Amino acid sequence: MFIRSRSTFLLLWIVGAAAVASAQFGPPPGPPPPPRAAAPVDLTGYWVSLVTEDWRSRMTVPPKGDAESVPLNPEGRKAAMAWDPEKDQSSGEQCRAYGAGGIVRRPGRIHITWQDDNTLRAEFDAGTQTRTFYFGSPQGKGADWQGISVASWDVPGTIMTRGSFGLGNPGGPERGGALKVVTTKMKAGYLRKNGIPYSENAVITEYYDRFDIPNGDSLLLVTTEVNDPMYLSAPFWTSTHFKKQNDSAGWNPSACSAK
Amino acid sequence: MKTNLHIVLFSAALFTQISLFAQTAPPSAPPNRPSPAIDFSGYWSPAVNEDGLERGAGSEIGDYAGFAINEAGRLWALSYDPSRLTLKHHQCDGYVAPYQMRAVGNFRFWEDRDPHTMQLVAIHIWAQTTEGFRTIWMDGRPHPPAWAPHTYQGFSTGRFVGNALVVNTTHLKQGWLRRNGLPESDQATMVEFIVRHGDHLVDTTVVTDPVFLTEPEVRSDDFFRQPADHGAWLYACDDGEEIIGRPPDVVPNYPLGQQPFAKEYSKKYKIPLLSGIAGAPSIYPEFTTRLKTATDAEAEALLRPAPGPSPVSQAVDPEPHDGEIHVWPISGHVYMLVGDGGNIVVETGDDGPFVVDTGSGQLSGKVIEAIRKLSDKPVQFIVNTSFLPDRTGGNVKLRASGQDPSLVGSFFSMQFRDAGVNATIIAQQNVETRMVEQKLPEPGWPMDTFLNDRRRKYHNGNAIEIFHEPNAITDGDSIVHFRQDDVIVAGDIFNTTQFPFIDIKDGGSVQGEINALNEILNRTVFQHEGQGGTMIVPGHGYLADEHEVVEYRDMMVIIRDRVRAMIRGGATLDQVKAARVTADYDTRYGANTGPWTTDMFVAAVYNSLKQAAK
Repeated sequence: MFIRSRSTFLLLWIVGAAAVASAQFGPPPGPPPPPRAAAPVDLTGYWVSLVTEDWRSRMTVPPKGDAESVPLNPEGRKAAMAWDPEKDQSSGEQCRAYGAGGIVRRPGRIHITWQDDNTLRAEFDAGTQTRTFYFGSPQGKGADWQGISVASWDVPGTIMTRGSFGLGNPGGPERGGALKVVTTKMKAGYLRKNGIPYSENAVITEYYDRFDIPNGDSLLLVTTEVNDPMYLSAPFWTSTHFKKQNDSAGWNPSACSAK
Repeated sequence: MKTNLHIVLFSAALFTQISLFAQTAPPSAPPNRPSPAIDFSGYWSPAVNEDGLERGAGSEIGDYAGFAINEAGRLWALSYDPSRLTLKHHQCDGYVAPYQMRAVGNFRFWEDRDPHTMQLVAIHIWAQTTEGFRTIWMDGRPHPPAWAPHTYQGFSTGRFVGNALVVNTTHLKQGWLRRNGLPESDQATMVEFIVRHGDHLVDTTVVTDPVFLTEPEVRSDDFFRQPADHGAWLYACDDGEEIIGRPPDVVPNYPLGQQPFAKEYSKKYKIPLLSGIAGAPSIYPEFTTRLKTATDAEAEALLRPAPGPSPVSQAVDPEPHDGEIHVWPISGHVYMLVGDGGNIVVETGDDGPFVVDTGSGQLSGKVIEAIRKLSDKPVQFIVNTSFLPDRTGGNVKLRASGQDPSLVGSFFSMQFRDAGVNATIIAQQNVETRMVEQKLPEPGWPMDTFLNDRRRKYHNGNAIEIFHEPNAITDGDSIVHFRQDDVIVAGDIFNTTQFPFIDIKDGGSVQGEINALNEILNRTVFQHEGQGGTMIVPGHGYLADEHEVVEYRDMMVIIRDRVRAMIRGGATLDQVKAARVTADYDTRYGANTGPWTTDMFVAAVYNSLKQAAK
C-alpha cells in the first residue's frame, strides 16, 4: 500500500501500536498489589546485630558526655551532661535508649514479620520493643518510645524503556529496592545509652536494604538519618548491620535498662 | 497547519509508547547490564558519624573490638609500633580500598562510557585522602591471574543487583583495617554493596581475609552529596628524611607479649581488657554478657602467642600448576614467565632475548616456545640469580636454545663466550662453584662469572645491572636491574609465597637476607603513594613493587629481633620454636610440611644468628 503522507504514516503507526499493545498486554491493569505482594525485597526473619562500628558506644555504656561523632548542638550537649541513669531507672524512663532513635543500635536481634498485607512488624529483643511500619495510613497516635512509622518501598526510578524513539534502555534495572521508614511523634529518647539525646520533634528516616554475600549469609543494612534541630546541629547518620539467622537462636527478650 | 498536525500525531505516538511501557514491569537486566536508574556520579563527602576517633586522630593500640581477628591479626597489631611510619618506605603508604572508603576527605565518582554505544565501561572513584583512585570495571572483564600485581585499591569489577552496585575486589595490597596497626593482608578480598537513597550514599564493605580474620568483616560508610566540586583535594606524597642516621635494618616493633600500650584502651575507658582483643565474639550481642565476667588475667593470655602448633599459610597458591607457561608483560619489553616452578624473566629486542633464571626445568620446552613467541631471535644471555634448582633447572635447555648458526665461525664469535653456539650464562662466581660442587649438569654451569659487586651490560636498549648480594639466600645471590624498564629481578631473595629459604649450608644468612632486601629498596622508586614505579619480580609468587618488599623486609627484621633477643637471653632453639616467634606471619607464610617448613625457617634464623654472634 502506498502511504501518501507522513501524517497518514503516523496515524497508522499509532493505531498499529495500540493494537499490538492490546494484544500483547491484555486488559488495563487492576489496582496495584498490596505492599506485601509488591515488596521488592524480603526482610522477614530473624536478624542478629553485627557490632563492628561504634563498638564502645554500643556494647558498653560510655561515660557521661562522651558523644564522639554525634553532631550535638549546645543544647544537646547540655542535655547529655544532665544524663542520670539512676533517675531514669527509678522514674520508669529506663527505655529512653530503646526508642525509635536508638533501638537499632542496641546489640540484639530483630524479628521482622508481616502483621498484615499493609503492615510490617519489627520486634527487638533488646528492651523487648516492637516497631510497626505502616504502608499507607498509620494507626495510633504516637507519644510512645517508637512513635509513628510510615513505610514505603524505595525502588530505583524507572526510565522509559525500549523502543520509545530511541529514548529508552534495552536493559533496565533488576527488581530490587529498600524499605523506607519515616518515624515521628515518639517520646524523646537517647541515641546512645549514655544519654545522648533526641527530642520528640525529631524526624527519623530509615532505609532497610538486604544484601546477599558470597559466603551465603544475608545482611540487613539499616541506614538511619536523625534530624533534630533541638539537639543536633546536623543530620546524624548511622548505618547498622545485621546478619540473617535461620531460626530464632539467641532470641532473648530482655527488659530495658538505663545502666 | 500541516506542521501542527505532525506535532500532535508525533506526541500521540510518543504518549502511546510511553503508556505501553508504563503498563509493563521493567524487563530483567542481564548480568553486568547497567541500571539506568542508579547513578553515583558527582561529589560526595563522608558523614563521619561513626567511629570518629578511628577515622580522625586514630584509635588506641589495643582497640580491635568489633573485628573478627584471629591470633595472627591480633599479634601483628600488638607488635606494631606507629613509629614504623617514620621509615622512608612507609611514609607514603596508601590506604587499601576498604579503609580508603572509610577515610575522611572528599570523594568524586564518575562514569566512563563507550563513546559510541554509551555502555557503561567503568565507574571511577577518586578519594582525597592518599589520592586513592579506584576503577570499577563494569564491562564484564575477568579478574587478573594470581601472579598479577596487587595494588592498594585492588582490581574491581561491578554489576548492578537490585538497587545496589555490587563490587568485587581482589589483588589488594597489605594494608590496614584500622590505622592503629590492625592489618589487612594481601590475600583479602572485598565485596561491596553501594546504594543511593536520594543524596545519601552508603557503601557496605565485606572484607574476607583468610590470613587475619576468622569471618568476613562488615562495615558501612555514609556519604552525602555535594552540589559541586568542594575544591578540597590533596597532592601526592613524597617521602623525606625523618630520622637521620638510623641503620637501614631497623624496623620499629614491639616484642611479642611486650606491647607497652596494650592495656591503655581498656584502662582509659574502664572496660575489660578482653574488649579490644577478643576477635569475632566481640561482634555479637552475647559479648555484652561475656564482658561482665571477663578478667584481665584471661585476656592477658591473648597478648602473646598461644602454645601449640603453628598454623599454616592461608594464602592463595599463585602457581598455575596447569603444565603451561604464562606470560605476564611487566614493562616495555620485559616479561615474567610463570609456571615452571620459579619465575623467569625475559627481555626482548633487536639484540635477542636476555633471560633471568630458567625455572625448575620441568617445562623448559614450553618456556622456549613462549620466548620464541616474544622474539624470533635465539636466546643470547641467561643470568642466574643463584645456583638453586628453581633458578637453574632449565639452564641446559635454554642455553642450547641460544644456538645461532648464522654466527658460528664469524668474527662475532670472539666477542663473548658461546656466541652462536649457545646462550651465555652469567652469574656470580659462587653460583658456578656450588654447581660444580653439587655435580649439577656441566652444560648448565655459568661460563661467564664475576667476582665484583656489580656486573653491567647494555642489551636491547636497556642498561642492565647485576648486583651480587652476599650471603643472603646463598653466597652467590644476585639481583638484576633492567634500568630503562625499571624492573628488578630478585630471585629467591624475595618471594610472596613463603618465609625466605635461607640456605645456611650454602652461605646464606639472616643479616645477608635483610641487607639484600634493603639493597632492592635502595633501587626502587614508587610511582604514586608508595606503589607502582619499579616493579620487582619475586623468585616465586606475584609481580610486586616496593611495598611487598618492604613488608617482607619488615617481617625479616622483626623475626630477627625476636630470635636475637631470645638468644641473648640464653634460649635454645627448641625454646625459640616453642615461643612461636613467627606467630603473626604463620597464616601468611607458614608451612608444617614440604621442603621449607616454619620450623626449618626458625632454625635457620636461630643458627644464622648464633653463627654471627660467635
